[in-house]
Amino acid sequence: MNSMTPKLVVEGLTHYYPDEYTGESVHALEDINLELYEGELVSVVGPSGCGKSTLLNILAGLLPYKIGTASVDGNVIHGPGPDRGVVFQEHAILPWRTVAKNIGHGLEIRKVPQAEREKRVQEFIDLVGLTGFEEKFPHELSGGMKQRCQVARTLCADPVVMLMDEPFAAVDAQTRITLQEELNRIAMATHKTILFITHSVEEAAFLADRCLVFSARPGRLKEIVEIGIPREQRNWTAMNDNAIFIAARDRILASVREEVSIAVEE
Amino acid sequence: MDRLWWHFQQLLKIDAMNLVILVVVVLIGWTIISETIPNPARYLPSPLAVSLSSVDMLVKGLLPSYYSDTLVRLIIGSSIGLAAGIPFGLLLGLNKTVADMFHPMMNFFQSVSGIAIFPIVVIWWGNSDTTVLAVILYTSFFPIAFNVLSGVREIPIRYVNAARTMGASKYQIMKDVLFPGAMPHIATGSRLSIGFAWRAVIAGEMLAGRQGLGWMIFTGQDADRTAEVILGMVMIGLTWIILDHYLLRPIEADTIERWGLVQR
Ligand SMILES: Nc1ncnc2c1ncn2[C@@H]1O[C@H](COP(=O)(O)OP(=O)(O)OP(=O)(O)O)[C@@H](O)[C@H]1O
Ligand SMILES: [Mg+2]
Repeated sequence: MNSMTPKLVVEGLTHYYPDEYTGESVHALEDINLELYEGELVSVVGPSGCGKSTLLNILAGLLPYKIGTASVDGNVIHGPGPDRGVVFQEHAILPWRTVAKNIGHGLEIRKVPQAEREKRVQEFIDLVGLTGFEEKFPHELSGGMKQRCQVARTLCADPVVMLMDEPFAAVDAQTRITLQEELNRIAMATHKTILFITHSVEEAAFLADRCLVFSARPGRLKEIVEIGIPREQRNWTAMNDNAIFIAARDRILASVREEVSIAVEE
Repeated sequence: MDRLWWHFQQLLKIDAMNLVILVVVVLIGWTIISETIPNPARYLPSPLAVSLSSVDMLVKGLLPSYYSDTLVRLIIGSSIGLAAGIPFGLLLGLNKTVADMFHPMMNFFQSVSGIAIFPIVVIWWGNSDTTVLAVILYTSFFPIAFNVLSGVREIPIRYVNAARTMGASKYQIMKDVLFPGAMPHIATGSRLSIGFAWRAVIAGEMLAGRQGLGWMIFTGQDADRTAEVILGMVMIGLTWIILDHYLLRPIEADTIERWGLVQR
C-alpha cells in the first residue's frame, strides 16, 4: 500500500463564473489546496454559496477550470471520467432503468461481460440493502432507496475517488441518520476514498476523518478539523456522548458560524 | 410476442363490452336516419347496403387490393419517416447550440402540412407513386423529428451528467439517456407522424390518382356509389383505431408508463 501518495490532489484552484449580461464575474473559489489519501473520507462544509458544488463539479470534470490544477492518481482532470464517481444531491438514477440496470450502468459502459457484471451488481445491491428490489424502477422506490441506489451505482463502477454533493440533504431526518450510518459501514467495507460535501455540521463530524471548513464566498480553505474516531465506533447512539465527536462538531460549528455571519453581512 | 398477446387480451376485456354497445347504438341510429330520408342510396346508404357493397367489392377482389395498396404505402412511408426522424432529432439534441439553431426551422417545416406541399411535389414528380411517398415521408418526418428534439431538450441535465461521469461516449449517451429520456415525446411524435402519414396517404391517392382507399372514396363519389364512399371512410377509421390500440398503446404501456414518466 502506497498510502503516502495522495489519490486526489488540488493545487491553487481558483474559479470565476463569467456573467455574460453584467460583465462582472462571480469569484467562487480562491486558491484551494487539498489532498485526499487512499481510504479517507473528507468532508467539506461552509456557508451556502461558498463554492462547494463548484469544487465538486470541477473535480467531476463537469465544469472546466482555468486557474490551478486538479488531478486523480496523477492524471490531470480535463473532463468526466470513470476514475471519479459522483453522487448527486438530486437523485440522478435513470428512470428507464431498473435498480439492477442502473447499478450496473458504469460496468455496462465499460463493456464488462454480463456474467461478471451481474455478480458485481448483486454484491452492491446487497451492500446497500436493496436486495429484493433489483427489478424495480426508480419511481417505485422511496427517496432514501433512490439515494442508496445512486451510492451503489457509483461504488459498483469502482472509481478511484467518490465525490458526493449533499447526497442525503433531500431525505427525511430519520432516513438521513440511517443513510449516514450505512455510508460509514460502506466506507469501512470498501475503503473508498471519498470527498463528501454537506451543509450539515453534524453529518460532517459524524462521517469524516478530516473536515475542511470553507470561508464565505470566495471559498477559501479556512480550517481543517481532524476527527480521530475509529469507524467501528461511529454510530449515532455512541456518538452523542463521544467527547471527540462533540469537540470536533462544536469546533466546526463555531468556525462555520463565523463565516455565515460574514456571508449575511455582505 | 407474448407481451403483445397479453395487451391484446387486456384491451379486449376492458373495451369489448363498451365497444359492442357503442357500435350497436351507432348502427341503429344510422339505419333509422337512412330509412327516413329520401333517396338514401345517394345520400346515406344504410349499414346493410354498405355491407352488401363491401361483400360485392370483396368478391371482385377490389377491396383487398385497394386496402393493401394503401396500407403498404403507409407502412413504407411512415417507417422510413420514423426511422429517419428519431435519430435525426436525437443527433440534433446532442449539442445544445445546434438544437437551439434547428428548433425554429423544424417548427417551420412541421407546420407546413402535407396537403400544402402537394402541389410542389406534383410539379417535381407528377401524378406518381413517388409523389405520394414523398408527401408521406415529409409529413411523417417533421413531427417526429421535432418532437424528439423537444424531448431531448427537456431531459434533466443531471441524467446526462451522470452518464458522462461514468465515462459514457456520445453514442452511449444517445442510446442510454437521450433515446429513452425522449420516449414520451417519441410516443407522441410517432402517433402524430403516423396519423399525418395516414391522412397524407388518403389525400395523396385522391390528388395523384393512385389506386387505394383514398382513390376508392374519390371515384365512388364521382360515380355516385355512395356506399363505397362510406365503406372507404369506415375502413380508414377502423384501421387507425387498430393501429393505435394494438401497436402504439402497448409500446407506450411497456415504456413510459412502466418507467413512471407519465401517469395514466
Ligand atoms: N453556473 C453558474 N453561473 C454563475 N454563477 C454560479 C453558477 N453556479 C454557481 N454560481 C455562483 O457561485 C457561487 C458558489 O456556488 P456553489 O453552488 O458552488 O455554492 P455551494 O457552496 O454549493 O452552495 P450551497 O451550499 O447552497 O449548495 C455562488 O455565489 C453562485 O451564485
Ligand atoms: Mg451546492
